[in-house]
Amino acid sequence: MTSVAPEPSLRKDAPDERPFARLLIANRGEIAIRIIRACREMEIETVAVYSDADATAGHVRAADEAVRIGPAPAAESYLRGEAIVAAALESGAQAIHPGYGFLAERASFARAVEDAGLVFVGPSSASIAALGDKLAARRSASQAGVPVVPGTLEPAPVDRPDQVDGIVAEAERIGFPLLVKAAAGGGGRGMRRVAAAGELPAALVAASAEARSAFGDGTVYLEREIRPARHIEVQLLGDRAGTIVALGERDCSLQRRHQKLVEEAPAPGLSVEERRSLHDLAVRAARAAGLENAATAEFLFDEERRFWFLEVNTRLQVEHGVTELVADVDIVREQVRIAAGRPLSDEVLRAADRAVAPERHAIEVRISAEDPAREFTPTPGRITHWQLPSGPGIRVDTGVEAGDRVPPDYDPLVAKLLVVDADRDRALGRLARALDETVVGGIQSTLPFHRFIARDPGFRVGPPPIDWVDTTWSRNLVAGREAALVAARWAAAGAAAGTLGPDRPADVDGDRPAVAAAGRPGGAEPRAWSRAGRARSLDRWPR
Amino acid sequence: MAAVSRAVRVAPIDPSGKALDEGARDLDPKDPTAPSVADLGGGRFVVAGGAAGEDRHTGRIARLVAEAGAADRYEVVVDGWRFELEVEDAVRASLRRRATRAVDAEASSGPLDIRAIIPGRVAAVRVTAGEVVEPGRTLLVVEAMKMQNELRAPRAGTVQRVAVGEGQTIERGDLLVVLT
Repeated sequence: MTSVAPEPSLRKDAPDERPFARLLIANRGEIAIRIIRACREMEIETVAVYSDADATAGHVRAADEAVRIGPAPAAESYLRGEAIVAAALESGAQAIHPGYGFLAERASFARAVEDAGLVFVGPSSASIAALGDKLAARRSASQAGVPVVPGTLEPAPVDRPDQVDGIVAEAERIGFPLLVKAAAGGGGRGMRRVAAAGELPAALVAASAEARSAFGDGTVYLEREIRPARHIEVQLLGDRAGTIVALGERDCSLQRRHQKLVEEAPAPGLSVEERRSLHDLAVRAARAAGLENAATAEFLFDEERRFWFLEVNTRLQVEHGVTELVADVDIVREQVRIAAGRPLSDEVLRAADRAVAPERHAIEVRISAEDPAREFTPTPGRITHWQLPSGPGIRVDTGVEAGDRVPPDYDPLVAKLLVVDADRDRALGRLARALDETVVGGIQSTLPFHRFIARDPGFRVGPPPIDWVDTTWSRNLVAGREAALVAARWAAAGAAAGTLGPDRPADVDGDRPAVAAAGRPGGAEPRAWSRAGRARSLDRWPR
Repeated sequence: MAAVSRAVRVAPIDPSGKALDEGARDLDPKDPTAPSVADLGGGRFVVAGGAAGEDRHTGRIARLVAEAGAADRYEVVVDGWRFELEVEDAVRASLRRRATRAVDAEASSGPLDIRAIIPGRVAAVRVTAGEVVEPGRTLLVVEAMKMQNELRAPRAGTVQRVAVGEGQTIERGDLLVVLT
């Protein structure tokens, strides 16, 4: 354990605090900027890497130095570990932060960084390798007494007619429906749902083939499908001395095709006892794997209020910010300190003590370049208008500004909007308000979807079931879009009026059947008083 | 100061850049149910009352995206929804529609240009010139943002030309395939 330092002044760290002189960020977009921000606050110089598609991107503009690593496709740039290590050596960086995605969970990359005499900001290559194999992680958690989702702990035989009887019997014991999952998997790839024994042999072959092509490893295993279930994950931090703490949990149940859309902390509706037991399970699973730095243990929470271990992600998560807002710590800063061999800070230890009874609630929505009216089809393009919310309890993590192009080559995430308030209800009110202030032009974003969620009575009650998006949202999007189109047509007519001929006085005074204003704050059905106020303000504006 | 002062026809534009008759409306400021349109400057508008319906919209930016003389195109964002809209004088639009209906009647079997609706990279070309295709047949696979999107034939026909090759980077609106 660390010794608790006295607090003689407002300064909480020793004055010599600067873990590294220079750090390279092996990523792009909002997460690269998030890491650069932490480094700047710690007075660490930053080196960005970029592909040709990102030569003028936000993370390149924000860093002190930037190194080109290849053409636009990720496989030829952000996934080229050797080019990134070379860039670090050449630029004099001492450490590499991988962010999330790309190389963050490739043990071979972490090892190459270590072998080059540099520091990898994250778990060691050995723990990434051990936990990246989900089957090995299940075995290790199970041995540590953590309940894992019922299923197999050994690889399932694929295309072995002689062993079909054995695996079918095993499947009967686990129960149908079940999932065939890839040991090296993620994001739903290499996964098949099996409703009956007859489908099993074919599903094993298909999942294994998909896993081999996606991850280079065709190992698959069986897991019971737990439905309905909530997806709850625990943020972990551990130092080199072996101290591991849980900073709190996040509920990420609102997903679409295994992609998270909304995340919140704490998980709504857990008692202090449930939360304590969940955090203990997560720490136990992490300790069994010898984990250090930052990681996340994922669990399913079933209707009988039981937690089932799924996997450990050995990286900084996209949604780490909601935990930061509730726990009041900077996880990236802590990651960098840990990587330099420092013990967990007092600030983190205190936050971990408070984590079972959090006093605030945070919510994050992922604003992506996707069209929610067209099955979330990507909408890369140039952002022409970019108006972000502000005011109390708002945080925006983004890598773009007006004028930037969202390239078609990478993830469509353009900004994370986070809000924090005293409780969930107030945080949702704040989220709705913040979304009303947000305007994105040039590309279609997922904003309409988030606006809908923030006011949906079902979501107010608690996290919805995982298939909620495909049912509820699909039913509601048409009406909302039509109403917006009605106002948009008139705005276009107004914009065109100057070019369409001589102005005449607009003959629209007198009784208006339902006075309303596009461009005024949204919300529930306005009362007569606010309607009248808006109508008066309209009369003061030029028409 | 811009106010809506004469009747116009406003038509949404689909992602490939084509103005759609479906969704087009004639807007007449003299109509008693017409809303009021205020111009706050800098491309910001407030639309209030009448057919604009309930007081629940936010957003409100409008921007000229393409000048085409009599039928300019605007981007408008309301409630997070982004629209591209073509605005045309109503009288002119009605004359033009009458003229094109006559042409359409004889040209419905003419060549059809299939254009890109999103920028990306051509991951695969599944047809060759001269091939006869059924509606729904996959013509190309376009990769954008880690997703593979299949582009399908909107109707039956013969592939007259494939305008792109595998690995090629495409922009929105680029010609991909011509069907006859």
